[in-house]
Amino acid sequence: MLRLLFFVAACILSALAGDVEFNRDIRPVLSDRCFACHGPDAANRKSKLRLDQEQGAKADLGKGRFGIVPGSPERSEVFKRITSSNKALRMPPAYAGHDKLGEREIKLIREWIEQGAPYQQHWSLIPPKRPPTQPTDVHPIDQMVRVRLEREGLHPAPEAERHTLLRRVTLDLTGLQPSPAEVDAFLADRSPGAYEKVVDRLLASPRFGERMAIRWLEAARYSDTNGYQTDGPRDMWRWRDWVIDAYNRNMPFDQFTIEQLAGDLLPHPTLSQRIATGFHRNHRTSAEGGIVDEEFRLEYVADRTETTATVWLGSTLGCARCHDHKYDPFTQKDFYSLSAFFNNVPEKGFVYNFGNEEPFIKAPLPEQAKRLAELDARAASAKQAADSQEQLLEKAQAKWERGLARAKPLEWSVTTAQIFEEPVAGDTHFDGRRVIEGGKESPKIDYRDPFTFSAWIKPQGDGAILSRGEDYFEGHGHYLYVLNGRIRLHHVFRWTDLGMRVESAEPIAMNQWQHIAVTYDGSMKASHVKIYVNGEIQPLKILFDQGIWPLDVKGPWRVGAGGGKFFNGDIRGVRVYKKELTPAEVATLPLEGPVNSIAAKPAASRTQAEKDKLRFCFLDGRAPRKILKARAAWSAAQAERDQYYSGIPTVMVMEEMPRPRVTHVLRRGAYDNPGEAVEARTPAALPPMPDSLPHNRLGLARWLVDKSNPLTARVNVNRYWQMLFGVGLVKTVEDFGSQGEWPVYPEILDWLAVEYMESGWDTKHILKTIVMSGTYRQASRVTPEALQRDPENRLLARGPRVRLSPEMIRDQTLASSGLLVEKVGGPSVKPYQPPGLWQELQGGKGYEQDHGEGLYRRSLYTYWKRTVAPPMMINFDAATRETCVVRETRTNTPLQALNLMNGVTYLEAARKLAERMMLEGGGSAATRLAYGMTLVVARPPSPKEAAILAAALERFRAGFRTRPAQAVEYLKQGESPRDGRLEPEELAAYTGVANLMLNLDQAVTKD
Amino acid sequence: MDHRLEWTRRHFFSRSGTGLGVAALASLLPGELQARTGGMPGIPHFAPKAKRVIYLFQSGGPSQMETFDYKPRLTEFQGTNLPESVRMGQRLTSMSASQSSFPVVPSRYSFAQHGKSGAWVSELLPHTAKVADDLCFLKAVHTEAINHDPAVTFLQTGSQVAGRPSMGSWVVYGLGAETEDLPAFVVMISPGSGGTGQPLYDRLWGNGFLPSKFQGVKFRSVGDPVLFLTDPPGFSKENRREYLDALNQMNEAAFAESGDPEVMTRIAQYEMAFRMQSSVPELTDLSKESDSVFAMYGDESRKPGSYAYNCLLARRLAERGVRFIQLYHRDWDHHANLPKGLPKMCQQTDQPTAALIADLKQRGMLDDTLVVWGGEFGRTVYCQGRLTKDDYGRDHHPRCFTIWMAGGGIKSGMTLGETDDYCYNIVSGGVHVHDVQATILHCLGVDHTRLTYRFQGRYFRLTDVHGNRIKEILA
Repeated sequence: MLRLLFFVAACILSALAGDVEFNRDIRPVLSDRCFACHGPDAANRKSKLRLDQEQGAKADLGKGRFGIVPGSPERSEVFKRITSSNKALRMPPAYAGHDKLGEREIKLIREWIEQGAPYQQHWSLIPPKRPPTQPTDVHPIDQMVRVRLEREGLHPAPEAERHTLLRRVTLDLTGLQPSPAEVDAFLADRSPGAYEKVVDRLLASPRFGERMAIRWLEAARYSDTNGYQTDGPRDMWRWRDWVIDAYNRNMPFDQFTIEQLAGDLLPHPTLSQRIATGFHRNHRTSAEGGIVDEEFRLEYVADRTETTATVWLGSTLGCARCHDHKYDPFTQKDFYSLSAFFNNVPEKGFVYNFGNEEPFIKAPLPEQAKRLAELDARAASAKQAADSQEQLLEKAQAKWERGLARAKPLEWSVTTAQIFEEPVAGDTHFDGRRVIEGGKESPKIDYRDPFTFSAWIKPQGDGAILSRGEDYFEGHGHYLYVLNGRIRLHHVFRWTDLGMRVESAEPIAMNQWQHIAVTYDGSMKASHVKIYVNGEIQPLKILFDQGIWPLDVKGPWRVGAGGGKFFNGDIRGVRVYKKELTPAEVATLPLEGPVNSIAAKPAASRTQAEKDKLRFCFLDGRAPRKILKARAAWSAAQAERDQYYSGIPTVMVMEEMPRPRVTHVLRRGAYDNPGEAVEARTPAALPPMPDSLPHNRLGLARWLVDKSNPLTARVNVNRYWQMLFGVGLVKTVEDFGSQGEWPVYPEILDWLAVEYMESGWDTKHILKTIVMSGTYRQASRVTPEALQRDPENRLLARGPRVRLSPEMIRDQTLASSGLLVEKVGGPSVKPYQPPGLWQELQGGKGYEQDHGEGLYRRSLYTYWKRTVAPPMMINFDAATRETCVVRETRTNTPLQALNLMNGVTYLEAARKLAERMMLEGGGSAATRLAYGMTLVVARPPSPKEAAILAAALERFRAGFRTRPAQAVEYLKQGESPRDGRLEPEELAAYTGVANLMLNLDQAVTKD
Repeated sequence: MDHRLEWTRRHFFSRSGTGLGVAALASLLPGELQARTGGMPGIPHFAPKAKRVIYLFQSGGPSQMETFDYKPRLTEFQGTNLPESVRMGQRLTSMSASQSSFPVVPSRYSFAQHGKSGAWVSELLPHTAKVADDLCFLKAVHTEAINHDPAVTFLQTGSQVAGRPSMGSWVVYGLGAETEDLPAFVVMISPGSGGTGQPLYDRLWGNGFLPSKFQGVKFRSVGDPVLFLTDPPGFSKENRREYLDALNQMNEAAFAESGDPEVMTRIAQYEMAFRMQSSVPELTDLSKESDSVFAMYGDESRKPGSYAYNCLLARRLAERGVRFIQLYHRDWDHHANLPKGLPKMCQQTDQPTAALIADLKQRGMLDDTLVVWGGEFGRTVYCQGRLTKDDYGRDHHPRCFTIWMAGGGIKSGMTLGETDDYCYNIVSGGVHVHDVQATILHCLGVDHTRLTYRFQGRYFRLTDVHGNRIKEILA
């Protein structure tokens, strides 16, 4: 039986009788059974014979032997060998575990050779031409289907019933079922254009963009986390919302392509165009300690290359990453040449684990941009108000300075945010053994905190000035040294790969007192460290720059010791601030003694640092209130602006380095085994990139959507077909190569591809075209005979009947219960999830579930953690988002049953659906149940179904009546309140039935 | 395609019987079909020695030098820098590559020979030592990855890159299930010494490009043992039965209407879910286990979620016909503080592991159960981080590590492979991860080159295009 079904399925796709066609009948056999050793991969070709090219197949192999002799199977070595009774000679070789070719395959090859063994270019590489159709009222798709059905002796099915059709098209175009009102309206509208009106309404709905986005997100491997072991968070939802918006605005697919692949390279790119380029930053990134940066960076480049090939070219180019492609005409060099387009992003392999990795941009929402502009303006005007008092300030300060001459000595220095001080009063000498400890309780400095260390030192050689952390050189902590005569800062999580190490490029003076300071802004960039000697910034040398991991530094500050080292010389005046002092502030630190002495100098002979010190001192509570108030207002306004700015979402984007990297072929795909250098180039087997296009990502994007490209339009309309019919016209939606499937209706594929391009890549138009066809509108009912003839409905003699996608199942459940919160876009949300799922795999705090509307948003907004994806989605065959996936798959498992019966989402929705039935569904059980069914499956129950449901209701009711406490218990699922007006036992009975309705095969199936 | 076959069968029964519910069908199925459901035609390729696998994955990379690979000369080398002649410029992780020195550090723990086979086992594993004669040690396993994520993924899926099916998925895809009451591929996870450990990822038991029904099902210690298994409070067993009866009637009506065999498959899945609602609690109800069993596995085996509990559950799953049972114990990643961390991990795993072997043996199940113990890579002979009198750590080491196998199809009481005196390179008997995978499949009667799935135009297999079964250890 099983074999029979396989055979039938195979027959659908191949020749019936008579004419053998190379692309349809022969290439699949040769490719699958011969190309691995006699195909495009030169390195692994097992003999001179190659069968992927006509010339090679028919060439003289020596000794009078020819692979294929046109017209003569008997003289053709290929035929002799595939039919040889000698197992040692037979191809494909038995010694390598291969089975003999089937009789049917042998017969086809014989006939083909007899017919002269004509070769054809692989079908998907020949640009599509629009096949002729009759200028009649019959939809072109239907015309093409009917020709084939007639030949097969089949007949198209009648049109589906109206409520079925409405539900089908509504689910397909919006991802949600029609409301009862929409059902009524459609049933009432008997005009000939009623269906088309519905289609137009659906395409105009904002739900359309959400529905389309979900598949694109899977292809784009979109996620809210990085993936790989540590799987930290990232923020890419601004890109996700860009996709929804682009679909809703019906952005032409060529533009959709160009902006996502190369929006940053367009002239004067808009914010929106830059956000679009997030597409190729959606791949996984690794923050696992110990990885080799370049290994992973090249992994990201390869991911972009493979994803681009899958999504636009339907090509398994990734197979050519380690060697030439075994089936398709792609060399390894082709792979790396294409990858060169994606190899110029200023990025790292070892990424930040707690947010977006560079390059990223601030991506304010329109209202945020507006608010930010307001805050900027407010801060600017507050600054202006403060600045406008300069004259007043100078006057007041001059008066204060005059007073200082007579006043008591005033000691002042910067103390804001100072968290530790050790003056080393008295003996300042450190003899290589002495250490002063203190400040054990002072606040910790973490990796994103700014800080300043400052001290007076008189070194006799190398040693530790100040430290806090483990007492050995490669320890965890903060360390300030004199090392190799230079000032050295270590700020270390783990010595070997996580931390920051910098030093002054030049040595400092020995055996003399000098003031040194080190500041840092908490930016995770070593280049933002500043080292000062006597208030002057020193040239910096970066030794290690990976301060991207939280620190946990304990214990006291240690003066004169740290990292296993002690100090020789003198130290005094040690200070630590949890703040990055400005250069002007640092410059005041070496100025000792009371400010009175500066004030005593004539203004003209004061240094800038002296002037600053007086000014800072005066503004530190000594200036007139009016001035201080204005200054405080300014800093408050600035702080508010900064705080708001830091809350604006960012999104990772593509950027091009000023000087592109050199891309190499990597032997066996290994990052550390580079071969020849290659230029950015498109695969040689495809039409060349016109010289008029720039040789960068922008050129590549334009080439992909150039009308001469034979693949892009076909590959994409095929995915639309898959979305509507459950299976693509080419079932292998990810592979249009010679191992891919021969299209079941090549003429429809080509017609649609040409239509797509000629319509200006109008996605809504192409979808409308398909759903308007009679083929799409057929009833899906199947007889056992038809099932046996065409189990997967590839010939389309009936309408599609397939299980809904995971997000549709959840979304329609929320919609039918009235819980669904419809709001387009925004940060991802965390609906119910069984507790502990994240912790058991990852530890940490785990999943922090939302409350309120976050529980009820459409599923495309559900927070996606790659290594522990939402179970509701994974149970129902969602892609994991670890890599690009374009094929839709559907299974049928007991875990799905459990999920829909017992998941909180479904129990809560059942309760709310029950409330709706009781409150909105009329007075009788029959009308209420009918209303419930209409909410879920968009039609009332048949009399038989009504009877089953009524009986179930009665049994539940009887059960809960005898156990009322259990009814109350049963109704506790979910966070939405229970309607107290309804009697619990009755509501529980309806809830049981509602949950059953949501579990119906009909409910989870599009028919 | 197989569900269609199933449908035909079910269809036959449901139409020819008089009102027989699908629930009753399982008991009506002919013995052979009942014994095995699913799987690919022609598989097993040859008579299997093992019917099932219990894989005790020690996540994080246990040090071979403190467990099974006895290296007495390391004491001589203590504190000396690893010679370049041994290291041979081989790559290190960036956690230790920039160390100023690579001081050799010997095991702090002593070794002795055990059993008739004279296997060397560390003092940290006294219980394992007692079953040493039942084990087969592979002392020269090597892998290609040097970081956890790629290395665990490589061991469990045959590829460092995400997206391939896991070993258990391959096995179930090829061989099908032996029970309809429990999932064929079960995963259990226990936290390590610190209550935590290296993260794991769903992909390790994921189905990759295989249909998702082949994915591993996690049995959990928190909440429902299987996600969504338990009916909500207030919804009784009777309610559920009534519910399913009505649901089945509704779906049968849908089948009559649509003719779609998927509907009948769905009915069957709901019935299997219902059976799991009984079979899983029965499985996890340890009240009928005797005190001597708990004594054997250790007290921890009474504590759900512990490694010991999972070992006991593994035996119960094996008894009930589960095909692939995968345990993970997390926290073997001893970059630092090895003398503090590693003994704890050994203490947590040693007794239950040995008990599982002994228990299977006394029940006559070791003959047709393959047990595998090991991590994703080994550890470096040199100290990572600070070497002190009492403390050291070891970095990842992919070039040699120890895995042991036992039971169905594997010779017992033998050791294959030898590493050099530094435990750094392989001297003889090296086996690659793909060889280990090929061997596991071989024990199950599967030729690893012929268990394939076509995806993206290629016939993928667990062992990619590599791997050889390890003939020396096959019984």
